[in-house]
Amino acid sequence: MDKLLLENVSKVYGSGENAVTALDAVSLTVREGEFVAVVGPSGSGKTTLLALTGALLLPTSGTITLNGEDTKRLAPSALAKFRLEHIGFVLQSSNLVPYLTARDQLLLVAELAGKRDKAAHARATHLLDALGLSKRHHHYPEALSGGERQRVAIARALMNDPDVLLADEPTANLDSVRGREAVQMLAAQVRTSHKAAIMVTHDERMLDLCDRVVRIADGRLSDAPMTARH
Amino acid sequence: MFLALRELRHSRLRYGLIGAILALVAWLVFLLSGLANGLATDNGSAIQHLNADYVVFQSGARTLLHRSILPMQTVQAVKQVSGVQDAAPLGQFTITVQRVGSSEQIDATVLAIDPTSFLAPPIITGTGLDSANQNGVVLDRTAQRHGVKLGDTLKVMPAGQEMTVVGFTEGQTYSHLPVIYMDIPLWQSLRFAAPGSAGAITDPISAVAVKMDSAAAARVAADVPGVEVATKDSTLQNLPGYKEETGSVNMIQAFLFIIAAFIMAAFFYVLTLQKSNQFGVLKALGASTRFLARDLVGQVLLMTIVGVIVGALLSYAVAAIIPAAVPFALSTGLVVVYGGVLLLVALAGTLLSLFQIARVDALVAIGRVD
Repeated sequence: MDKLLLENVSKVYGSGENAVTALDAVSLTVREGEFVAVVGPSGSGKTTLLALTGALLLPTSGTITLNGEDTKRLAPSALAKFRLEHIGFVLQSSNLVPYLTARDQLLLVAELAGKRDKAAHARATHLLDALGLSKRHHHYPEALSGGERQRVAIARALMNDPDVLLADEPTANLDSVRGREAVQMLAAQVRTSHKAAIMVTHDERMLDLCDRVVRIADGRLSDAPMTARH
Repeated sequence: MFLALRELRHSRLRYGLIGAILALVAWLVFLLSGLANGLATDNGSAIQHLNADYVVFQSGARTLLHRSILPMQTVQAVKQVSGVQDAAPLGQFTITVQRVGSSEQIDATVLAIDPTSFLAPPIITGTGLDSANQNGVVLDRTAQRHGVKLGDTLKVMPAGQEMTVVGFTEGQTYSHLPVIYMDIPLWQSLRFAAPGSAGAITDPISAVAVKMDSAAAARVAADVPGVEVATKDSTLQNLPGYKEETGSVNMIQAFLFIIAAFIMAAFFYVLTLQKSNQFGVLKALGASTRFLARDLVGQVLLMTIVGVIVGALLSYAVAAIIPAAVPFALSTGLVVVYGGVLLLVALAGTLLSLFQIARVDALVAIGRVD
């Protein structure tokens, strides 16, 4: 089943002579349980692609369909709620809230949705345990290693049971062993919980963990030769 | 408040310092209000507690008791105006007395009344004034600080007339001096000792205290010749030095409120700017501006309430140990009102931060915004 569908999506910043086309008629389909890597040099449009898919921005033209819902129909004010319900972000490692324990990072997502109940507590426990953090529930980010922080971020992204997982350079601040471990866990979660996932990365060493690799350059996508295992 | 409480717990030092500043500001506000209140009471509690609605003065006296001289007949004239419930004569004079057997001189304000009128002060010890005992006087209890006791004989300086302390009252000071209540004839003999000092008036008094409503007051002003009428409150405001004393303390208080607003605004704005990136991440996760704003307002309210409570406790502690001679009177009503004002002021101080929170774009979470 296609979870995420981008059809002829373009994004133009500015207007008139100053217009910059960041994405140019991009189409991409991600199925349930599929883990897609998007690689490309800086300035190629990776961040814009992630922002559009993650409902942080609306496209200039084209349609983005997420679990059957067209994001173009959403008012700008409804985007936050849409993200809360349908999208899980794994951001660069410094993006945990510094004054929340690992467990509270997850419960925050439940609190935002107004559903910080017993089930949410159970889910937080389950996710942290599943990501190998069973002894780290009550640690603050400052007391966690870089790899552990990124695993908390993965758990946080899964907390709202999203349709789509989006990872922005998840290995940027990790050494290759920790980075690989984090991406492995991300990939495992995508497959076991049937998410559609896109990972934007520079890190070519992680591509073998992905189902499909898409290259982006100057705002255009091209399928790369299959380096992923199947 | 999910974030607010956890952040307060985690950054105890940072928020402890801000809370301490808030508590100190609240403390200072309460101390000043106690001082303003104390000064006002010290200056004019005899007028504040006067059992009357209006005071009728000689026209041109500008509601100053010491300038006003009226004939005793004015009391009857006022009583005959329709709508007047009751009227009573009032005399005022400032004297210096000395306790027999002591060399200490005590300044005091004399208020002369008809012992049977409604102006008779409440007695806490001893007895009230009695026309049969012309030389008996009732003193405010603050005179006890100078060693005056029931039954003491006081000599009026420098002439040496003698009077006997028959009772004590409380809450009766005028121009920061304890009040000596006495009968009208004794006061007349002191106030108009020099021949001709009352002019052509025989049986003079200073003013007439009246119980009546505003319509009757207008009729008194129109119908009784040679008088001006003032409410009790404007008489109090017009006491020499009253407005100046309370005015300067009130001005300091107003500045404190403004300073408190700026302190809160500056602290929370800097903290909010520092956390802009964090707010971006929270928004990317799906937090609405309203959620973040509510959290910030909750945080500010919580800190201000705690700060105000600590400030109030410190103020009551000061009130308990402050020497009795210092005019300081903390009123719980004022503490509540000023605490409320501080709360509003703190909220106003967060507006800038709320604006900043609304401006943060979720895009900062994934790096560049362009």
